[in-house]
Amino acid sequence: MADGHAEHGHNEALEGTIGHVSNPATLVKVLITLLALTGLTVAATYVNLGRLNVIGALAIASVKASIVALWFMHLRYDKRYNFFVLVSAFALVAFFIGVVLLDTTLYQDGITEYRAQHPAAGK
Amino acid sequence: MSSTTSHDSTHALPARPKELAMHFDTLHQQYQSAKLGMWLFLAQEILFFAGLFCAYAVYRGNHPEMFHDAHFFLDTKLGAINTVVLLCSSLTAAWSVRCAQLEQRKGLIATIVLTILAACTFMVIKYFEYSHKVHIGAVWGESFGIVDAAHNLPQSLLDAYPGKSAEEVAALLKQNNTGTFFSIYFCMTGLHGIHVLIGIGVYLWLLSRAVKGHFNRKYYAAVDNVALYWHIVDIIWIFLFPLLYLIG
Repeated sequence: MADGHAEHGHNEALEGTIGHVSNPATLVKVLITLLALTGLTVAATYVNLGRLNVIGALAIASVKASIVALWFMHLRYDKRYNFFVLVSAFALVAFFIGVVLLDTTLYQDGITEYRAQHPAAGK
Repeated sequence: MSSTTSHDSTHALPARPKELAMHFDTLHQQYQSAKLGMWLFLAQEILFFAGLFCAYAVYRGNHPEMFHDAHFFLDTKLGAINTVVLLCSSLTAAWSVRCAQLEQRKGLIATIVLTILAACTFMVIKYFEYSHKVHIGAVWGESFGIVDAAHNLPQSLLDAYPGKSAEEVAALLKQNNTGTFFSIYFCMTGLHGIHVLIGIGVYLWLLSRAVKGHFNRKYYAAVDNVALYWHIVDIIWIFLFPLLYLIG
């Protein structure tokens, strides 16, 4: 991004500072972007797109989470292994939920049928 | 092998900074180790919450209508305000790291105090949301049962069931196990809220250390790592807000 160049242009870091020092303008721009995306996700609920509503909301949330991780959490400037720790955690979550969802809707008809035949069960 | 040199070995060593633990060579190495440890902890936090997100996905996949009915009880405005509060606190948390790196002690204290105030604001709003739900009976599992349905059912929910009285809608919600949604809602937001409370506690500890002037340009890993924790709490809320409040 264009910011990268500007940040190298005037490095405020004190001599010998460990780590990357965030530019105040960048931090404020990141917050404004996050607030705008929050507004967008609220506005999107007023449009009925069926299943696309959930997918869109999750997509916007993922973009917001990535922005927080890359700039607020310094991952853009950090050691690569920290990045891989975060990405592998999210990959495991996706795998976990994905595998569980593979067959989760297959049983509901059976449950509904059983409930209809045994009205007293489970109450 | 030191016996071959005439100097005492302690003379040859450079002075060690007082913040440097004995098992590290440099402050930079110490900082990177602490940070990697924090990231591993945060990965564990993400997996910890994953179980609840999985429960959410399974129940919403099977009972979309129950989630749709239940979301009318959640106040989108309060949820959005809390999102803005947390995002702003993420900015002050990121800024506190910058202040620590630049050795701006007053700035560090101010940003930590602002982060704590935002966290408290979040919890106060959460308290009002929780107490209202408990008051009207929009609670977990079998305990679910709307008290005085005519007054306490949201109008938007009644509009979704034209021709049905408030009592009939309340009975239908009970029959559809709407309490399951609130079990998931209270577990997810409750666990998140506990993380916010812990964040307040850790930031109070940082505040006392910042006041004592413990941090400098080479020694601020505590400020950095607490900010990382705070950002993960924010990221989890970024997903909770649309999934719970914006079902529409």
